[in-house]
Amino acid sequence: MEEILRMEHITKRFGDVYANRDINFDVRAGEVHTLLGENGAGKSTLMNVLFGLYQPTEGNIYFRGQKVRIDSPAQAVKLGIGMVHQHFMLVEAMTVFENIILGDRNSKGLFINREARKREILELSERYGLNVELDKPITEIAVGAQQRVEILKALYRGAQLLVLDEPTAALTDLEVEGLFDIMERLTQEGKSIIFISHKMREVLRISDRITILRAGETVCTRERGETTGEELASLMIGRELAPSHYEKVEQAGEPVVQLEAVDYHKESKHSGLSGVSLTVGRGEIVGIAGVDGNGQSQLAQVVTGVLAPEGGVVDLKGSRVAQFTPNGFILESVSHIPEDRNKMGLVGNMSVQENIVLKSTDDPRFSSGRGLHLKKRAMRRYAQEMREKYDIRCASIDQEARNLSGGNQQKVILARELEGNPDLLVAVHPTRGLDIGATRFIHDTMIAARDRGCGVLLISADFDEILEVSDRIAVMFEGQIMGVYPGKNPPISEISLAMAGK
Amino acid sequence: MSFVANLLLATVRMATPLIFLALAELYSQRAGLVHIGLEGLAAIGSLVGFMVSLITGSPWLGVLAGAAVGILVNLVFAYATITLCAEQIVYGMAINIFAPALAAFIYRVYFGAGSQLVQVGLMSTVGASLGVTPTNFLARLFLDQTPMVYLAYILVIVTVIYFGKTKSGLNYKAVGEYPKAAATLGINVIGVKYVASILCGALAGMGGAYLTTCYANTYADGIVSGRGFIALAAVIFGRWTGGGVLLACLFFGFCDALQIRLQVGSLGVPYQFFQMIPYVATVVVLAIIGAKKAGPKGSGKPYLKEER
Amino acid sequence: MKNSNRLIALLVPVISIVLAFAIGCIIVAALGASPLVALQSLWTGAFGNLRNLGTTLSRATPLIFTGLCACFAYRCGVFNLGGEGQFLMGSIAACVVATQSGITGTPGMLLCIVAGTLAGGLWALIPGVLKVCRGQNEMIISIMLNYVATLFMGVIYTNWLRDGSVPQTAAVPDETQLSRLFGLRVTWAFVIAVVVGLLVYYFLFNTSKGFQLRAVGLNMTAARFNGFAVTRYILVSFVVSGAIAGLGGSAELLGTQLRLINGYGDGYGFDGVAMALIAQLHPLATILVAIFFGALRVGSTTMQASTGVPTSVSDIIQALVIVFTVAGLAMVRLPQFRAFLDRLLRRKEAV
Repeated sequence: MEEILRMEHITKRFGDVYANRDINFDVRAGEVHTLLGENGAGKSTLMNVLFGLYQPTEGNIYFRGQKVRIDSPAQAVKLGIGMVHQHFMLVEAMTVFENIILGDRNSKGLFINREARKREILELSERYGLNVELDKPITEIAVGAQQRVEILKALYRGAQLLVLDEPTAALTDLEVEGLFDIMERLTQEGKSIIFISHKMREVLRISDRITILRAGETVCTRERGETTGEELASLMIGRELAPSHYEKVEQAGEPVVQLEAVDYHKESKHSGLSGVSLTVGRGEIVGIAGVDGNGQSQLAQVVTGVLAPEGGVVDLKGSRVAQFTPNGFILESVSHIPEDRNKMGLVGNMSVQENIVLKSTDDPRFSSGRGLHLKKRAMRRYAQEMREKYDIRCASIDQEARNLSGGNQQKVILARELEGNPDLLVAVHPTRGLDIGATRFIHDTMIAARDRGCGVLLISADFDEILEVSDRIAVMFEGQIMGVYPGKNPPISEISLAMAGK
Repeated sequence: MSFVANLLLATVRMATPLIFLALAELYSQRAGLVHIGLEGLAAIGSLVGFMVSLITGSPWLGVLAGAAVGILVNLVFAYATITLCAEQIVYGMAINIFAPALAAFIYRVYFGAGSQLVQVGLMSTVGASLGVTPTNFLARLFLDQTPMVYLAYILVIVTVIYFGKTKSGLNYKAVGEYPKAAATLGINVIGVKYVASILCGALAGMGGAYLTTCYANTYADGIVSGRGFIALAAVIFGRWTGGGVLLACLFFGFCDALQIRLQVGSLGVPYQFFQMIPYVATVVVLAIIGAKKAGPKGSGKPYLKEER
Repeated sequence: MKNSNRLIALLVPVISIVLAFAIGCIIVAALGASPLVALQSLWTGAFGNLRNLGTTLSRATPLIFTGLCACFAYRCGVFNLGGEGQFLMGSIAACVVATQSGITGTPGMLLCIVAGTLAGGLWALIPGVLKVCRGQNEMIISIMLNYVATLFMGVIYTNWLRDGSVPQTAAVPDETQLSRLFGLRVTWAFVIAVVVGLLVYYFLFNTSKGFQLRAVGLNMTAARFNGFAVTRYILVSFVVSGAIAGLGGSAELLGTQLRLINGYGDGYGFDGVAMALIAQLHPLATILVAIFFGALRVGSTTMQASTGVPTSVSDIIQALVIVFTVAGLAMVRLPQFRAFLDRLLRRKEAV
């Protein structure tokens, strides 16, 4: 097969950090070539280099045999490279049609020729089975359809090579199958696809070749036929994949929080709750599995008092919650590791020290006269203690929290949330974007909290993480709890089906 | 009858500077730049418009000069907020302090401190240029206006067509909504933002110049008297569309006209209470419509190219 | 790291001031006067002797109040651009009490100040409530209310409390006035201003509530998730910030202004915002910047007398300082600048 893209010795450095180091990678016409690697392995950086968003520090790119310099996305598009970003680049205030023709340079004239453009788009859409409603606003179509719009957008610009960045992360199993059908049709027509994923099953199902990245470097490239999931996993992680490290608890203590038929924005499938009943007991970790955007955020926010449910009741440590305020829940010793640490967890412009004591400055330990005078020295001493205990790596406790790495930011939040021995910990995507070391640390800390008798509600889109630490697993789909399963020897296929809404 | 007729005629007159200013804000915000410094741009525009029309005797040149100086000053805003990524609100305030100070200074230097009132000839109305004196209401509505009024309405129509029907307008809006997405589609985000700043500066400068070439025949510090901010409210009230903005400006223009008319027959009520009408109306309107966030999503945020 | 940040925070306004003065000198030269003489007379006029210093501090006093007003609100993340209106409402309340209540002397003085503070706080409550309850843009509303307050003051001095043929109110009775310090122009109002500045500083950086208020200002979402009553902080910060301006209005009226008259208070609000921004929201630095602004204004009168350059050149300098400082502060935050600085520091270390 003819080669369409070759990236040679690509290195990308940010300051002292190598995001990519001497990467070699090529794509042939009509193949699906997977880039496999963990978070932070350098997949996104490499693709951003290809798409002209970053300039490589070193290395060359050849497209159709020609050496090219790609210094802007526009340049990449012109060459015939299309990218479907993990976070869709769709303008929500516009319709599907407008999103597709945005930035179009092919047609002449000042005005938009709606009829002609629509004909072209529909033709493309039928050829590849993309099936989109052109006049709907983006906000009114499902995630799967939005993705098809993104693919159509790239094809409309004449893409020969399509980059799909974690395209299955937000999809149900059914939608994933639909996507794979589309991918097969594309390759049949001679288009090439770079597929980015870390889900082994999907990778083996759809790829022709697989290149594994680890810590910014290429490990190797394998043909699909000559490898196995186990081999890929160990190449990706750099060690054998082990079953869960942790002892699972089968009998939980008395309930800490009980939800009974809780409703919130019931009609919204992606950001509502519908009749959710769930109990978290002392000394157990309840994991919520499910594709992102099925009401998990809302569940977490109800259980931490940020949102007030519209129906149903919540009992906290045996007494009914009358008023939903974050402070009320904090006073009942509920801790929260929110889903977006920069937006919701930390005050980025405050120091590490200030973030650690954020919730407790009224405490007599840190202020006298009911908060009238801060004991700054005590605050510093405490922050130093926490820095060591939670292994927070920072230049100093006076460093601004926003300048820390993701893992260390999360440790700051852990130190704040866990140090008071909470009765309930609500952790939402606690290890998203973190490296293996930080992930392990956070899992260990959660298990330790559980063993102290804390109830933990863990919400994560990372199924492996759920399997790793949960004592019970509840599956959420479109705002509903589809079922609750044991965490010890979990029925994985049953759970997968539930995650897809079956 | 004559009260109502005069009121409506004054409404059109008073709405015109607001239309220019609100369009300035619209073009700025549609590219993601919230600009609270229009008051300042209009102030310097009104002074330069006044001086140029005084020196050359041509109000048209005055308007042109107002637009030019508006562009010039707004390029400072553009550089700071687009290239240096300064906070737009804060920098808008800086412009609000800088531009009027500059205007006041130039006035003092040119005319000397404590000079007597300098007056300038206003732009003639369409009727006067054609040599007709309109008598009935409808004729006055169309003929007793300066060409600037016509220009304002033409600009509104152009704006509606531009954002609604053209490819370039669609791209422009995308920059304000989701600059990153726009950039991946090959739209020059920074370029659009600079173009927006030029348009905004020109329109705001013209809005200011209108005040001294078509409305009042002299310049005084504070002549803009809050119109820059009322225009901001008009954009919110008009839901970021050309048509909506026009209606909002007519409403605020009506309030302004009303206060002038009421002052005439004040019946012993201190005239300042009538002068409050446009400001109070703005507060009330904003309070009533509340904040359904409908503006461009990328507004107010800086756009950094290589994020990490 | 921290030290270099502090140094930059200090250097940016200082360089901006130098730049602004350089441009000011060019303007002066262009007008045919000697920049050196201008600078010298500016300095003598502002600080040349005790009397001039007193005048400078007296001019700075109202600016300190409006500066602190802006500073306090911004610390909580809300843009109160209504300092001028709140200041005027404070002055109006104080004027009404001083001239109408018949209570004079110290009790009258206290009453005036309390009334002014309350009036300022209440006036700021309007944008605060509209922001919290209707989610509305507090900036536009607070500015609109400035115009309303100015016009309302007009009603007072041209109509309701007009004293004689000139449109102005009667003066505050002698016994109710704030007395001068050491026989200079500056009055006790300045002392009050400095005390308020110290209190604001202490509150923001040494109390738990102040800490939480700053957290709300820096990241409202995180503050809400961490259990702070965000809306209450916003409302309180508006009211307190308005109260500071109102207190300033009453103190200025009792100390220096004495009667309401056309043009009083014009520009104080925006000047306050400018000072708070140059001082990077530090209350004590705000006081210093206010004194600097006061000095510019007082000194420029002397400069006009000796060189013929209009006083409004000081407004230009002041405006340039804010234009440069804000741009400069943005520039030093840019990643490119950070990288440049890192390279510079590293080269130094290597040497």
